[in-house]
Amino acid sequence: IFFLKMKILLLVMLLCYSFAFSSGDTTIHTNNWAVLVCTSRFWFNYRHMANTLSLYRTVKRLGIPDERIILMLADDMACNARNEYPAQVFNNENHKLNLYGDNVEVDYRGYEVTVENFLRVLTGRHENAVPRSKRLLSDEGSHILLYMTGHGGDEFLKFQDAEELQSHDLADAVKQMKEKRRFKELMIMVDTCQAATLFNQLQSPGVLAIGSSLKGENSYSHHLDSDVSALYYFMNGMYITIGVSVVDRFTYYTLAFFERLDIYDNASLNRSYDPRQLMSTAYYRTDLYQPHLAEVPVTNFFGSVMETIHTDSAYEAFSSRISNSKINADMPLDQHPEHDLKENLQNANNPNDDLKNEKQKCPYTQMRADLQEKLEKLENVDTMVNLSIAVMVLVVIVSSSLL
Amino acid sequence: MKNEDDGEMAEEQKKKPCRFWIWALSSVFFRLILISFPGNLNLSSRPEVSTPLTSIRRLAEGYWLKQASMSPYAGSMYHGSPLLLSLLGPLTVQRIKGQPSHLLCSLVFVVADVLTAMLLRGIGQKLQMAYGLNARLLGFLKSSRDKGILPCGDIAALVYLWNPFTIVSCVGLSTSPIENLAVVVALYGAVKRRVPLAAFGLVMATHLSLYPATLTIPIIFLLGYGLDAPPIKLFLQTKSVENQDRSTSDVSKTEAKLKQTTRVPFLWKTVLHFVFWVLLWSLCVLVLCGLSLIKHGGLEEMFKSTYGFILSIEDLSPNIGVFWYFFAEVFDFFRNFFLIVFHVNILFMLLPLAIRLKHRPCFLAFIYLTISSILKSYPSVGDSALYLSLWALFVNELVDMKFSFFLFCGYLGISLLSPVMHNLWIWRGTGNANFYFGNAIGYACFQIVFVVESVSAMLNHDRALKRCNSKNSREVKN
Repeated sequence: IFFLKMKILLLVMLLCYSFAFSSGDTTIHTNNWAVLVCTSRFWFNYRHMANTLSLYRTVKRLGIPDERIILMLADDMACNARNEYPAQVFNNENHKLNLYGDNVEVDYRGYEVTVENFLRVLTGRHENAVPRSKRLLSDEGSHILLYMTGHGGDEFLKFQDAEELQSHDLADAVKQMKEKRRFKELMIMVDTCQAATLFNQLQSPGVLAIGSSLKGENSYSHHLDSDVSALYYFMNGMYITIGVSVVDRFTYYTLAFFERLDIYDNASLNRSYDPRQLMSTAYYRTDLYQPHLAEVPVTNFFGSVMETIHTDSAYEAFSSRISNSKINADMPLDQHPEHDLKENLQNANNPNDDLKNEKQKCPYTQMRADLQEKLEKLENVDTMVNLSIAVMVLVVIVSSSLL
Repeated sequence: MKNEDDGEMAEEQKKKPCRFWIWALSSVFFRLILISFPGNLNLSSRPEVSTPLTSIRRLAEGYWLKQASMSPYAGSMYHGSPLLLSLLGPLTVQRIKGQPSHLLCSLVFVVADVLTAMLLRGIGQKLQMAYGLNARLLGFLKSSRDKGILPCGDIAALVYLWNPFTIVSCVGLSTSPIENLAVVVALYGAVKRRVPLAAFGLVMATHLSLYPATLTIPIIFLLGYGLDAPPIKLFLQTKSVENQDRSTSDVSKTEAKLKQTTRVPFLWKTVLHFVFWVLLWSLCVLVLCGLSLIKHGGLEEMFKSTYGFILSIEDLSPNIGVFWYFFAEVFDFFRNFFLIVFHVNILFMLLPLAIRLKHRPCFLAFIYLTISSILKSYPSVGDSALYLSLWALFVNELVDMKFSFFLFCGYLGISLLSPVMHNLWIWRGTGNANFYFGNAIGYACFQIVFVVESVSAMLNHDRALKRCNSKNSREVKN
C-alpha cells in the first residue's frame, strides 16, 4: 500500500510539474495576429465599419500582413446603394483617408459574421472545408489583438441585430484558447456601449482588456458626415441629407494616437484616454496581464516588429540529431506514469519471448537480423561512408602503384 | 652537325613542356577568373550544361533532403550517386563570406579538370611512343628521333583544358568533370597497365553514369592485346619481307612462322586480374551505397532512381539531345518500345565496331564514348568536351580527316545558336520548341558526321599503311 501511495504521489507531482511547465513563460513571441470584428449591419451603423476598417489599416501599416488578419465585416458599406462615394469608406469628414482602398481582404463578410463563426475562429474548431484564410492559425508564441465594435450592453455584444455574444461565451472561448495554447498574450479592445462588462467573466492569464465605457455608460460617435449619405429625407417641403456618423470617439482618439506612429516607434500601451473627450470612461482590465503597461510597446499587439538574425550558412532544418534528442527528452516524462502499466504488461510479454527464442535458433537469420539492427542504430553512417570512400581511394592509389 | 641537331632538339623538347605548362596554368587562371564572376554567369541554369543528372542544384537539394532524414531521391530531384552526395554535398552548403556561392564546388571541378588533363597527357605520351615504335618497326621512320610525330598527349590535354565546352561545364557547376575524370582514369589505368586503377575508374564511371559500361570492351582489349597499333598483317608482311631478304631457301620455315604468328597473344591472366578487381570495386561501391541509403529504401531505391531514371527517360525537360522532343509526343502504348529501340541503338554498334577496330582499343573507346554522347538520354556539352579531347589523342592518325573545317564551323554555329534559340523559345516566346529542337538535331547530325569521318579516316590511315607496306615489299622484291 505504501508503494502504491508513493506512485500516486509521484504521478500527481509529475502532473503538477508538467502543468507548471506549460503555464510558465518559456515561449518566445514569434508572431502577431489580429482579429477585427464589426458586428452591426445597416447603413446607420456606418461608423462601426469605419472603426474596424481604420483599425485594419493601422494594423497593416504597422506590419501585420493580411494572412495574419481575420477581418469580419457584417455588412458592406462601401458598395451600399446609399453610399454617395461608392467603394470608398471614410472615417473623417475631411475624406482624407479612403479606408476601403485597393488591398482590403475581408475574411468573413455579411451573414458569415455570426457568433458561432466568431467563436469558431477564436477556438480554431472549424469544419474541414474551411479554408486557411478563414482560420486563426496562431500558436503558443502569438500575440493576438481582438477588436470588436458594434452595439453592446450589460455583459453582451449584439451580432447582426439577431443574436448576441455574452461575456461568459467570450470568457469560455478565451479559456479554450489558453488551454490549447493558441496565444501567448491576448489584447481585447471593445468599442461598444458598456464595453467593460464584456470582460467580467475573463479568467485566463495573459489577457489584457480595454473597453471604451463602463457599466451604465454609452460610447458615443465622434462626428457626423453629412456628405457621405445619399439618403434624402423630405421634410417640410425640402430634401435634406441625413449624414451618418463616420467614427466612434474611442476609436477616433485611438487612431489619432496611432496615426502619429510608424513601426519604429517605441510608444507604450500605457496611454490614458480623456473621459471628457470620450464622454465615457475607458476601462483597462490589467489584473490578468503580468507585464507593466508602460514597458509594453504598442507594436506588440498593433504591429508586427520581428527580430531578424542574419546568418551566412544555409538553412538546416530538423536535422536527424535534433529529432533524436527530442525523442530522448520526451521519454523520461512519459515513462513514470506508465510504470504500473509496464508491470502489468510484463506478464503478457512472456509468451512472446518464447516465440522469439524459437526463431532465433537459425544462426544465419539471427546474424542478419542483428546486423540490420546494428546498422539501423548507427547514427553516424555518413561519417563512416565518407571514411570508407577515403580508404577506398587510398587503396586504389596504393594498389595501382604496387601492382 | 648531328650534335647541333641534338642540341636543338633537346632545347625544343625542353621548351615544349614549358609551353605546355604555361598554357595549362593559364587555363586554370582563366577558370578561376570566370568562377569569381557572380552567379556563375548563369551557366548552371543553361540546359546544355546542366541536365537532370549533372545539375549541382539538384545535388544540393538531395543533400538537404538527406540532412533532413529523408531519402535523397525523394521528389525526383536528385538522380546521382549517394557517394557523390557525400563528397560534394557538404561543399554546396559551406559558404565563405564575401565569396560567390558554391566556390568550393567550383574548385573541386577545376581540380578534376586539371587531373583529367594530366592523365590525358600521360595516355597521349604512351600512345605517341607506341606510334613511333610501330612506325619504326614498319620501316616508315628511319631516324630514332620522333620528328614529325605530333605530341598528341600535350595536344589532347590542352584541347581538354581550353575547350569552351569543358570550361563552360566546369564554371557552370555540372558534375560532368567528375564523370570525365572517372572515364579518363579507367583509360589511363588500362594504357599504363595498372589493373586496379583501370578497374576502379571503370566501376566509378559506370556508377556515376550508366553509359561508360560500354568501355569494358576497349579496356579488355587494351589489357589483353596492348596499345593501338596498325593491323597485325602489316607487321607480318614486313617480317616476311625481311626474312625473304635474308634467305630464299627458308621459304617453308617462314610460311610455318607466318601460320603460327597470325594471331596476337591475348593476355588472359591480365584480363582475369582486371575482372577480379572490377568485381571487388563494384562490391565495395555497392556496399557503401547500401550503407548510406540503409534507412531510405536501400539499393533498390538507388537503382530505380539512377539507372531506372536514365533508362526510362522520365524527365523531358529540353536539353541538347533529341529524345525529349520525341518522348513528349509518343503515345504511352509505344513508349517502352521506343525506349528499347533507342537504347539498343547504342548496343547494336558495339559489336561491329569491336570486330573492326580491335587492333586500336583506344580509338574504339573514343568511338564508344562519342556514340554514347550522341545517343544518351540526357546529353550535355560536358560529354562533348571529353570525346573532343580524346579525338585529339589521335591527331597523328587522323591528320587526313575530311570535312574538319565544316565540322568545326558546325560545332561553333550550333553552340552559338543554341542559347539564342532557347531564349527565343522560352523567354521571348517568339519561337517555339521546334527552333530549339532543330538546333539539337543539327548538333546530332554534326556529331554523327564527326564519328563517321573519324572512323573512316582511321581506316583509311590503316589502308594507306598497308598500301605503303605492300609497295615497299614489292620494291624490295623487285
